[in-house]
Amino acid sequence: MRIYGSKELINDVAQRDLCIGCGMCVNICPYFKTYKGKSAMLFPCMLDQGRCNAHCPKTEVDLDALSHFFWNEPYDGSPLGRFKRIMAARAGEKVSGSFQGGGTVSALVAYALKRNLIEGAVLTGAEGIEPVARLVAEPEQVAACAGSKFIAAPTLTALNQAARDGARRLAVVGTPCQMTAVAQMRMNPTKREDFEDPIALAVGVFCNWALDHRQLVAYLSERMDASTITGMDIPPPPAEVLVVKTAEGEERFPLKEIRKLIPHTCFICPDMTAEWSDVSVGMYEGRSGWNTLLIRTQVGFELVERAVEAGWLEVETFPKENEQALSGAALAKKERSFRNADRHGYLRQDDEDCRPAVRVPPEVLARLLG
Amino acid sequence: MKTICDGRSGDTRLMQGNEAFARGALEAGLSVVAGYPGTPSSEIVENLAKASTVRDIYVEWSVNEKVAMEVAAAASFAGLRSAAVMKQVGVNVASDFMLHLAESGTRGGMILISCEDPGALSSGNEGESRPFAKLFELPLLEPCDMQEAKDMTKWAFELSEEIRNLVMIRSVTRLSHASGNVTLGSLPEIEPEARYKHWGTPIDPEEGPITTFPVHYKHAQMQQKLKQAVTRFEESPFNTYEGPENPEVIIVTSSACTLYSREAIRLLGVADRVGLLKLGTTWPLPPRLMETHLAKADVIFTVEEVLPFLEDSVKILAAEISDRIGVKKFHGRSDGTLPTINELNPDLVAEGLAKILGMTYQAVDPTYTALADEATATDAPERDLAFCAGCPHRASFWSIHNALEMDGRQGFVCGDIGCYTLAFLPTGFSTLKTGHAMGSGTGIASGFGKLDRFGMDQPVLSVCGDSTFFHAVMPALVNAIHNRADMTLVVLDNSGTAMTGFQPHPGRPSDAAGNEVPALDIAKIVRAMGAHVEESDPFDVDATRHKVLELLQKGGVNVLILKQSCALCPEKKGKKLFQVDLDASVCFGENCGCNKLCTRVFKCPGLQWDPEAKAARIDEVICSGCGVCASICPSGAITKKEVA
Amino acid sequence: MATKALAADPYNLIITGVGGQGNVLASKLIGNMLADQGYYITIGETFGASQRGGSVMSHLRISSDSIQSPQIPKGKAHMVVALEPTEALRVLKEYGNPDVKVITNTRAVYSVGVVCGDDAYPSMDELRGWMDKLTAGAWFIDATDEAVKLGTAILGNVLLVGALAAIGDLPLGRDRFSEVMARTMPAGKVDINLSAFDKGLAVVSASSNNQSV
Repeated sequence: MRIYGSKELINDVAQRDLCIGCGMCVNICPYFKTYKGKSAMLFPCMLDQGRCNAHCPKTEVDLDALSHFFWNEPYDGSPLGRFKRIMAARAGEKVSGSFQGGGTVSALVAYALKRNLIEGAVLTGAEGIEPVARLVAEPEQVAACAGSKFIAAPTLTALNQAARDGARRLAVVGTPCQMTAVAQMRMNPTKREDFEDPIALAVGVFCNWALDHRQLVAYLSERMDASTITGMDIPPPPAEVLVVKTAEGEERFPLKEIRKLIPHTCFICPDMTAEWSDVSVGMYEGRSGWNTLLIRTQVGFELVERAVEAGWLEVETFPKENEQALSGAALAKKERSFRNADRHGYLRQDDEDCRPAVRVPPEVLARLLG
Repeated sequence: MKTICDGRSGDTRLMQGNEAFARGALEAGLSVVAGYPGTPSSEIVENLAKASTVRDIYVEWSVNEKVAMEVAAAASFAGLRSAAVMKQVGVNVASDFMLHLAESGTRGGMILISCEDPGALSSGNEGESRPFAKLFELPLLEPCDMQEAKDMTKWAFELSEEIRNLVMIRSVTRLSHASGNVTLGSLPEIEPEARYKHWGTPIDPEEGPITTFPVHYKHAQMQQKLKQAVTRFEESPFNTYEGPENPEVIIVTSSACTLYSREAIRLLGVADRVGLLKLGTTWPLPPRLMETHLAKADVIFTVEEVLPFLEDSVKILAAEISDRIGVKKFHGRSDGTLPTINELNPDLVAEGLAKILGMTYQAVDPTYTALADEATATDAPERDLAFCAGCPHRASFWSIHNALEMDGRQGFVCGDIGCYTLAFLPTGFSTLKTGHAMGSGTGIASGFGKLDRFGMDQPVLSVCGDSTFFHAVMPALVNAIHNRADMTLVVLDNSGTAMTGFQPHPGRPSDAAGNEVPALDIAKIVRAMGAHVEESDPFDVDATRHKVLELLQKGGVNVLILKQSCALCPEKKGKKLFQVDLDASVCFGENCGCNKLCTRVFKCPGLQWDPEAKAARIDEVICSGCGVCASICPSGAITKKEVA
Repeated sequence: MATKALAADPYNLIITGVGGQGNVLASKLIGNMLADQGYYITIGETFGASQRGGSVMSHLRISSDSIQSPQIPKGKAHMVVALEPTEALRVLKEYGNPDVKVITNTRAVYSVGVVCGDDAYPSMDELRGWMDKLTAGAWFIDATDEAVKLGTAILGNVLLVGALAAIGDLPLGRDRFSEVMARTMPAGKVDINLSAFDKGLAVVSASSNNQSV
């Protein structure tokens, strides 16, 4: 894995408009900060190599290196990534509250906190519609962060801060780009002697795209009083609307319009199901109140087993057709994104000075792009 | 306390040019002086302020130079002798009143002392004020040394009273801030009585109202007064000629350039070939005197700074009398004999003179120069200007700069005049993006703040100091509020007029002489104007950055007042807010996570990088104990403890 | 008043340092001591932004017969008194010549460029080497250290005036010094300044030129 510094980070990510605002570069050092969903560099640090660049999910992501580190196998480009089991899941009877989908993520994280399998969880809350990073230590605090935000969030700022404060055995819940960043961090690519992996549990959530907070607010501000917004949701198909909640009621906006606000960086992301996690959770299309659950690692497997036994999680078999449909969708995103990235020149590895956004093994790329 | 009133007539002492001006004014029986701080003029008012403790004079630091001139004029109208004192750009500010004053005339003797800064040693411009004398048809005097500074000031009052108009005296840094032997005169015992007589007819010079009306009549009078001054100039002892009766070249010069020219003649050893016509009365030029001397030589070399003002006057005069004195060859600034930018010195004049005489002048052996150049290039590191340790501006610009980066819309700050002007430089994180005159930052921001209709979405800020706020920013702020511009003004309130020597201003509770006076409250004024106002302590960098970020998202006119007194102010002298310590074993140093944030980026002189220890350290002597570095240190190596 | 003949007329002395080190006070002191003896004195100062870390210079012109310009012509300094050693080099670049003499403090004042690690500050050996090549004689005095022993670092400027007096190119007698002190300083400060002056006299008298004292 090639390591570069903040100068290259700005050139290769910020200036190419590839920053997703995940916050992985923030709170490692004083030079990066996040504000309203965007990461900003205050001053150049002048170092040739740094964690900001090494951990960023939008530059020099070495898929083979990641795959070897986590699975001891080369990256094979499989649509859903490596996993042990795919299941249907939802929060068990021990979990109170209502959820947007199945409540699987909240159940697993709350359970892990309750049983002291983790010390804290890095989650994404919201203030109005602005997603905010949260570090929670109590199971009761998890539900407040439940639900998809649909907006790119600087969640990992809280992870970095917690790690600096000495926290260990953390869970982190994040989107595929965030989980890619976390995975890179766990490899300790800059070979720091003082590195200790703070992560005990990595929970990924499925994602096709996210919205840019600033652009969304600008769009909404032209059409309503944005200061009255209390929350938002994108109901499952076939609704095709963005629902914005205010104190007075709801406003609806056509998803067709909203999709124009998707940041261009989402269109180079090859990962729909958060391949670099212990478990990944997404919507179960056609079955409201349930989630799709991918169990990837032994850690994930044991957690799910225990949670089910304790009544915190319910699981069922996942129909083969659904798995094929999911796989198809994931593959379509992977192909589309690689093709798009390739077109922009973001995948070039052919000479010494290339700094691709993603390093894809050439045979995998050739196979996918046909 | 030692003041310029010490010493008796006939004593000779070393005096600074500005002290000499002040002494001259006292010897003339000055009663009132008003000015605004501006380098190199400030010491004149400061010395008179000290003198006011032993002598009955009124000394005022006015809110700006226009008002200063108006205040001095009032004293003159009431029959007292008065002076207005300012630097060159102050004359620009006062010029509207000056035009009208010239036309209305004065009563008690009144002078303007303008101290200019050729070479921009302490200014953001190389402007000069001599042309105002021509523009407004007023007599102009230029002393060439400290003795003349005193003597010509005294004489200027006499001239002013004789012609009943303002007399302008022009000084430069190399005169105002230089010191030389001055033989003192006596301080008169005066008992001035202020009374403004206004009950006569409009054209009664003694007892009529003082106005510019009727304009044509008054204008004609003004020109008559000037003619009268010229007759005095013909006989003035301040115009002298030294040198041969028939020189090859005559140098025509004034002000500090007189001393450079004399030195140049001596350096080249051409005293037998070159004559020196030194003028103390430089506008208008006395024609008979000029004719007498211009006739002596065919080549006329005018030495002056900054504009070819004297040169042009000499050329015009010479053209008018060319039938009597012959056609001359002129050298000076216009033909490149002297450089057109930056200040002069004896070498530049010597080089110019050498060129005219067909000589070469080499100041020093080139092998020595080459060696000395090498020495400085390798072993004399440049001294960049920097905010002092503990300066609140460093902290303010840290917060503003970082807020702008986080905001991410390429917002910018329009700068103004003061210590904070240094924020163009790395010491202020290069945050200022425009820089012009007093109050211009807010005026320009008011303009930028209306360009949203043309697609401008960059947030706009301006900064000003507490003194600048009163001087010129208030009308610009009114403009922004009334015209609904979108901008944020950050008032950097450090409790004084710091750059020029910490003089008081209307926001402070004491005046030039140290008396207790009402202090105007900036926050109250701005609220009354109708802007949204917030306050913060700039040393609390996180809170300040947060406030700035919030205001950047708001439309309309916002004012953020950052209050923290200057590190050099008397209350802070020798006292630290915090004891600040640095544990080198904890310092992240050059590693990812820091790379010398405090020394390389924050650049407080109290923090030093130790390349051997590979850690920062604190210089106890320089550190002023503000504690800001402790807030920004990422490793916790820097800690602060409140000093009891 | 008949004045003693000077080593050169005009005699050109530069006092240099960093803003805040007291070069102005030193120049006024020397100027007054000489003006009292009937010499024509002109002192040119460069300050203003000096407080903000910049280099400063006082140019002293001493003459028996006429008023000189406040700026010394290039290459015409006879003596340079430096409160900071690299400032001595900077002055020599413009005003030095093979016959110039230099008295310099040894204590460095780092520029912001140096403290933040961008620039390197020369070693004392490097500085001595340059002084050797660029002057006819150089005295290196630990003025700050000695001044601190006397009570406060700022006394370094007066100490160097004492050193200048000891070298003898200018008539700067101790009595003159006392008179000027009494006239210009608050009463409480006179003694300590005299001690500093005496120390400067002593350190130079005890050594020969181009040696550390």
